[in-house]
Amino acid sequence: MCNMIQEKLPHDVFDKLTQELRRGILVLAVLSRLDEERYGYDLISRLDEKGLEIEQGTLYPLLRRLEDQGLLTSEWNVEGSRPRRYYSLSPEGWTVLKALAGEWRRLAHVMDEMLEDISPEGGENEID
Amino acid sequence: MKLIDRYLHEVKRHLPRKNREDILAELRSSLVDALESRAGEEASEEEARALLKEWGPPREVAASYHPEGQYLIGPALYPLFRMVVGIALAAVIGAQILAWGLAIAIGREPFVLWEALAGLLNSIPMTVGSVAIVFMILQRFEVRPEMEEEDWDPSSLPQVTDTEEVKRGELIAGVVFSILVLVLLVAFPEWVGFVSLPQGRFYANPVLGRYLGWIVLSLLAGMGLNIYLLWQGRWGTVTRVLKVAVNLLSIGVLALLVRAHTSWLAARDAEGFLITLEKFPELLEDGFQLVGMHAFRLAFVVALIVTSIETVVLIYRLVKAQLGKEYSSQGLKSQIN
Repeated sequence: MCNMIQEKLPHDVFDKLTQELRRGILVLAVLSRLDEERYGYDLISRLDEKGLEIEQGTLYPLLRRLEDQGLLTSEWNVEGSRPRRYYSLSPEGWTVLKALAGEWRRLAHVMDEMLEDISPEGGENEID
Repeated sequence: MKLIDRYLHEVKRHLPRKNREDILAELRSSLVDALESRAGEEASEEEARALLKEWGPPREVAASYHPEGQYLIGPALYPLFRMVVGIALAAVIGAQILAWGLAIAIGREPFVLWEALAGLLNSIPMTVGSVAIVFMILQRFEVRPEMEEEDWDPSSLPQVTDTEEVKRGELIAGVVFSILVLVLLVAFPEWVGFVSLPQGRFYANPVLGRYLGWIVLSLLAGMGLNIYLLWQGRWGTVTRVLKVAVNLLSIGVLALLVRAHTSWLAARDAEGFLITLEKFPELLEDGFQLVGMHAFRLAFVVALIVTSIETVVLIYRLVKAQLGKEYSSQGLKSQIN
């Protein structure tokens, strides 16, 4: 285990920065999966299917925050094997999702151009 | 499942008040979902334990539901807090020093340094604590300070005073004052005193004569330094150190004078300054001398305090200048060469 007094290894720094990168796209990812009503645990599997891992400790508070911001609506559903809280996009949520998706595409394009010479697409990262 | 209940109970303790029960219900539901999808309906204690370990400590899970993190005094309010604490402390400590000075001057009770310092040790945490409590409340109600406005104008920034530059006006005034006092002391020492009101008779201050030599010396030293500074135009390390030395000399002389006045007053069984003032109307000629001497003493005590504070500030500037030498233009030039 790393000694805390040691200088930060590139690996540690890389992990931290990767985390920040992911954190930036989480909201968009989550909003994109809520075109249908879903409950928390289901949402985690859906995201995982698509290749985005997210912890329940991150997702659930995020869902609440998005609901507080008016982007999601939720309701309890007691029909299944246990009561579950279902979330879906509100009308504002839809608008924001579309706008964010557009912004994402623009940014992704910008980044691709900036990184053209630096790393091959889908290449291995050199840190491991 | 008992373990899950215990876990959720702990999480509940740390959750924010808002939506607490609802959040808990959701967490329970998803925990059971997760457990079931891993281990089926009859999940064992061990599997539950593993799942909970993955979810993380209850306090962390609860913490993620606090929208803006948990702060006593958050980042938005902190700069303002620091400023207010700085001002408050300066005021309190300043007032404390002033109180000490007055206590010595009026001389009602003996001045015990130890008690005095203990008093200070008390008032500092109290000041910081009071300000902190106010800001804690502000934080709780999410008050945001308005520090910079949108149409902030760079031209409205205050001028930078060069602390290295010498203040000509002050120095010249100082020199003139010193010369006047010196002339008065040397040529007409009997004229330093006070006038008694009822009869209009003049009394000389008997104590000053004994220390005339020292007073003249310290005045000359101060004057000499001021003239040198006027010539130099700027402060430097040497001049700062010299000024500290001159100030220390003045402090010594002032302390001597205060002590001399104190013993003169004590020898006549004088009461405190305020009491003497109270008896003002009934005083005979002799009694009036006491008032005069008290007044002198008070003046010297004030001068002592002011000079001490000035000296402390000087030493602070000296240290700061030394430390900042690396990044001054002289410092950098000398590094390049």
